[in-house]
Amino acid sequence: MGIVLRNLQNVVPLRRARLRKDVETLRHILGVQKFDLGIICVDNRKIQNLNRIYRKKNAPTDVLSFPFYEDLRPGKMPCALHRDEFNLGDIFLGVEYVMQQCRETSCDFHGTLTVVAAHGICHLLGYRHETEEEWNELFQRESYILTEFNRLTGSHLEPLTKRCTQDS
Amino acid sequence: MLKSLSRAVSVAARLSTKAPAAAPTARAALASPALCAPSSASTRPFTRSIWMLCSSNGATSGSRPKLLSTERGLPAVPCGCGGLHTEGDKAFAEFLSDEIKEEKKIQKSATLPKMSGGWELKLNGTEAKLIRSLSGERVTITFNINNSIPPTLEEEEEPGHGQKAEEKEPEIVSTPNFVVEVLKQGAKNALVFDCHFPEDEIGHGKGQEESDIFAIQEVSFQPEGDEDWKETSYTLNTDSLDWALYDHFMDFLADRGVDNTFANELIELSTALEHKEYIQFLEDLSSYIKCN
Repeated sequence: MGIVLRNLQNVVPLRRARLRKDVETLRHILGVQKFDLGIICVDNRKIQNLNRIYRKKNAPTDVLSFPFYEDLRPGKMPCALHRDEFNLGDIFLGVEYVMQQCRETSCDFHGTLTVVAAHGICHLLGYRHETEEEWNELFQRESYILTEFNRLTGSHLEPLTKRCTQDS
Repeated sequence: MLKSLSRAVSVAARLSTKAPAAAPTARAALASPALCAPSSASTRPFTRSIWMLCSSNGATSGSRPKLLSTERGLPAVPCGCGGLHTEGDKAFAEFLSDEIKEEKKIQKSATLPKMSGGWELKLNGTEAKLIRSLSGERVTITFNINNSIPPTLEEEEEPGHGQKAEEKEPEIVSTPNFVVEVLKQGAKNALVFDCHFPEDEIGHGKGQEESDIFAIQEVSFQPEGDEDWKETSYTLNTDSLDWALYDHFMDFLADRGVDNTFANELIELSTALEHKEYIQFLEDLSSYIKCN
């Protein structure tokens, strides 16, 4: 199946082909191209609802990750034996929220969406940012991913954690 | 999710849920000189002669109305219109009168909602066409409101929620399959997309497994303006398609104004059109039953 992309919102015009290509590149950089991944683009209302249900935070956010492997150690590859275990989980992208952030900071929307997706994939691979140590670990990983991404695509993306985002 | 919940009642409920409330008013309205009512017998000699023939103990018998009931195998009485009229027809007409009133009451607007983006609407019965020209390209959307309300499964009511479910009026939403034709200037063939609204988004979706608002089912080239689908044209089915190609198709449609916003507006338009046609059908049916 690869990447399952869904666009459930009509607030932000989305370039699906570009998003898929960028997430595909991220998957290759992380060496998880054999694993399925769900990317679901939603509006503020939907992501706020999910944030409230699963994180008890009644506010919209940029990304929510739902890992298939919940107790994965950061940096450790999932040990999949059967076909249906080659699955990383789902990432809900709050594209409306991301668009609002981009307008405020004059950032490129689709570039930022790639950074947010990279952050979400890191969560699917066990990375957290609840402690300073975890934060640094995540930042290192995101820096590596985006440096590679920039090298492959000629982009100039920076890690999300650098922007002091406490969400997701 | 809300949309999914709102559809959790069958279409059949439309007819069955509303009649009792308004029934008394219609009965009163239909009590006036109906074609086959016993009171009209005096002005219709032929009808009266039938009365006489059917009566076992004369025209003054108190059991006269019974002779017209279905119990005696004489379900109908002919009238001047050339058709038959039964007690069943009378009840049917009363029911329809109530139903039309109720449907008009819940009709959001007598006029159809406008599509944003400069789409021109052309109607032909239950078929609608939306046409838009942009930079030398002509995009035509065609859909038919017949059979456009997805059959929904009756969801089992959770204990304690029964009352709540009864109070809420079911929302009927029309989600027709639609065909998008994109014709470029000078091209012989149009690129044609057969699109639909996936069931789990509109009907039975549970949990997080949700589909796009609309999806492309098939893609093919078809001769311009041909009414009939040319089966000999190669047709690309998206079931086993490379997802990257699928996304390019979706982006292609979005660039031509066929995106999620369009899809939501199409649902609104189709729902309004379907409701309008439904009311028209009920009115035609009512006239037919009453032979007006």
